[in-house]
Amino acid sequence: MVRWLLLGLCLLLGACTSESPDHIVFAVATAPSVLDPRLAGDAASERVNALLYDRLVQLDEHGTPGPGMATWQRLNARHYRFTLRADRADYWDGTRPVAADVVATYLSLLDKALGSPHAGGLAHVSEIVSAADDQIDFHLARADPAFPARLTIGIVPARLAADRQAIRAPIGNGPFALVERRENAGLLLERRTDGQRILFAPVADPTMRSLKLLRGEAHLLQNDLPAELYGYLADQPTLELQQVPGTTFAYIGFNLDDPVLAKHEVRAAIAYAIDREAIIRYLFGGRAHTAESVLPPAHWAAVGDLEPHTYDPARARRLLREAGFDEHKPLELSYKTSTDPFRLRIAYVLQSQLAQIGIRLRIASYDWGTLFGDIRAGRFQMYSLAWVGVNTPDILRYAFHSGSLPPDGANRGRYRSDEVDRLIERAETLDAAAAAPLYAEVQRLIHRDLVYVPLWYESNIAVSRGLADYAPGHDGNYLALQRVRVADDRIR
Amino acid sequence: MRLAGSILVVWLLMALAGTLPSLEPNRVVLEEIFAAPSATHILGTDELGRPVLDRLLTGAGVSLLVALSTVTLSAAIGITLGLIAGYAGGLTDRVISRLIEIFLAFPGILLAIAMAAMIGPGIENVVIALAAMGWVGYARLVRVQVLALRQREHVLAALALGRTGPAITRHHLLPLVLAPIWVEASFGVAGAVVAEAGLSFLGLGVLPPAASWGGMIRDGVRYLLVAPHLILAPGLALFLVTMAANQFGDALRDRLDVTSRNRP
Repeated sequence: MVRWLLLGLCLLLGACTSESPDHIVFAVATAPSVLDPRLAGDAASERVNALLYDRLVQLDEHGTPGPGMATWQRLNARHYRFTLRADRADYWDGTRPVAADVVATYLSLLDKALGSPHAGGLAHVSEIVSAADDQIDFHLARADPAFPARLTIGIVPARLAADRQAIRAPIGNGPFALVERRENAGLLLERRTDGQRILFAPVADPTMRSLKLLRGEAHLLQNDLPAELYGYLADQPTLELQQVPGTTFAYIGFNLDDPVLAKHEVRAAIAYAIDREAIIRYLFGGRAHTAESVLPPAHWAAVGDLEPHTYDPARARRLLREAGFDEHKPLELSYKTSTDPFRLRIAYVLQSQLAQIGIRLRIASYDWGTLFGDIRAGRFQMYSLAWVGVNTPDILRYAFHSGSLPPDGANRGRYRSDEVDRLIERAETLDAAAAAPLYAEVQRLIHRDLVYVPLWYESNIAVSRGLADYAPGHDGNYLALQRVRVADDRIR
Repeated sequence: MRLAGSILVVWLLMALAGTLPSLEPNRVVLEEIFAAPSATHILGTDELGRPVLDRLLTGAGVSLLVALSTVTLSAAIGITLGLIAGYAGGLTDRVISRLIEIFLAFPGILLAIAMAAMIGPGIENVVIALAAMGWVGYARLVRVQVLALRQREHVLAALALGRTGPAITRHHLLPLVLAPIWVEASFGVAGAVVAEAGLSFLGLGVLPPAASWGGMIRDGVRYLLVAPHLILAPGLALFLVTMAANQFGDALRDRLDVTSRNRP
């Protein structure tokens, strides 16, 4: 009897043990919520979808398109033919991706009933047909030399795409297969080349995430930590910190329909009152660099000669006086941000810096849903957000064209400029070499008009334990998980 | 009692010191982020370079203000309803008693959290949320006392002499129920300090960047690995004040309780 009880106890204890130690545990701030590449809009979901689904086209760190699972030919200005590569990966259920899957994926994506956030950039696609088992023809309503760069959405099997709703049980042909999706406990993926498993474990609290890494309960974390914790983790002999310059563009947005913020002097005063260098140095620990435009400097359409709004409080005060505000008539503005502690910390620093030129900043922090809803609806004066994973100049139309006011786009500041509209529309009809100067001009105008106060590009930082060959992607992607190795046998 | 009283006096002095204009609890100094305790900053600085001592003193004022306001408001509501229920009896008593039971059925802090979430953060709203759950104890205590007292001879005599209900409750009942109220209030101070800290910890209390002990602990927890000094000072202050207020209440109860005083 006692023996049976002991056996039962052992079984119970065995059942209570944590994750099998052969898993690499990737502690993430939020669990990826959408495993459908057509619908994924948040960074966490997009990064995991890139592991689960292959795409027709891949973009490099300069935003230049290259073959993914297909090569392409431009048959004429409005007609592209994509040919699936013979060495493309199969779906993880063993079926082979064919042209019908590509057609179904993109047709469903363009279906308004699906509500894809990626549909806007493909609105000019007039027809998608399967020319052969491995050939797909895209016909466009207007010339678009940069069209291949828009086809970076993962290809889902036609039978799943046909449902016109979010995929619940994903099947992809990316480098990883989904093993298990756990309620509130993350995702378990398996690398298809060698069976290495990766568990994406959501741990919201940064300190807890760090402690899990220190205790060996997690083996990898990336971004979303305060700078001080990076410094602390970098000092630990068992951990390794990798840092690469990032393209995540942080900015302060203005509501240009607001009568006060419609004045250029007020926006310029705010820009000159913010000491970005000090914030980067003390809050980011140097792990960011100042930004002037949404497109990162290495991008083919970037502009390199923008004059920065260098910290100059005297000039800021003068501009504010010109706008009609001084100590007798102080300016009070509201600033909306998320409840993320680090974003709030930045908000208090901005509040303090703006107070030095006489601007009283009221900070309102909201959960993500409320904040984003308010910003989309134009219920704000100032806000701060970041663009993550910007790879194509499409962002300029999406965020600054007068036809992109929400809900049609992300021109949340209600910026309207005929010149910018014209330049964007013209650039979209030219090839990259000819379009680059026009996109550069668009960025100059946006910078001059101070639609945003550009802040910084945040570096991508990964801290690992017992791993080798991992480095975060330039846009924070997790693609290096394809080659990561367990260097410490204790993880096995 | 003496130690508890001393701690409460120090709390009061800290709260008074928190009003000194020379303090700069919200001044952001990036160069001094996470400075360790030193001669310049006795308790160090926090994640925005703000002096922890200045914030501790300002937070003392906030917790004292919230505690006193909450206890006053709770007592005012509770005593009034308790007197009405106990003296009027009948349907009025039954209605108020059921109301008390309904409030007692919920965990107090949960109710306060729900209320604070509904009406939003801020010192005034914290007081309202805490008083919304705090009045129940006073009401129950006063009702029971009045039920026992209303048949006393002096109350019957006042009634016979034609005194009205409000006059009897004010002059003949209220003075007799005050002793246990003081004890309840001293425990209420401790409860309010902890509850305010709890609400601020959850982001439902005092609005940042204003300092409060709960908010300081919440912010400090995030940097526990790199700056443990951030939670030590407010944590210790909270512990000492709560303990002192509870001990003061115990001592007050012992002193006011005639039966325990006469015990050998």
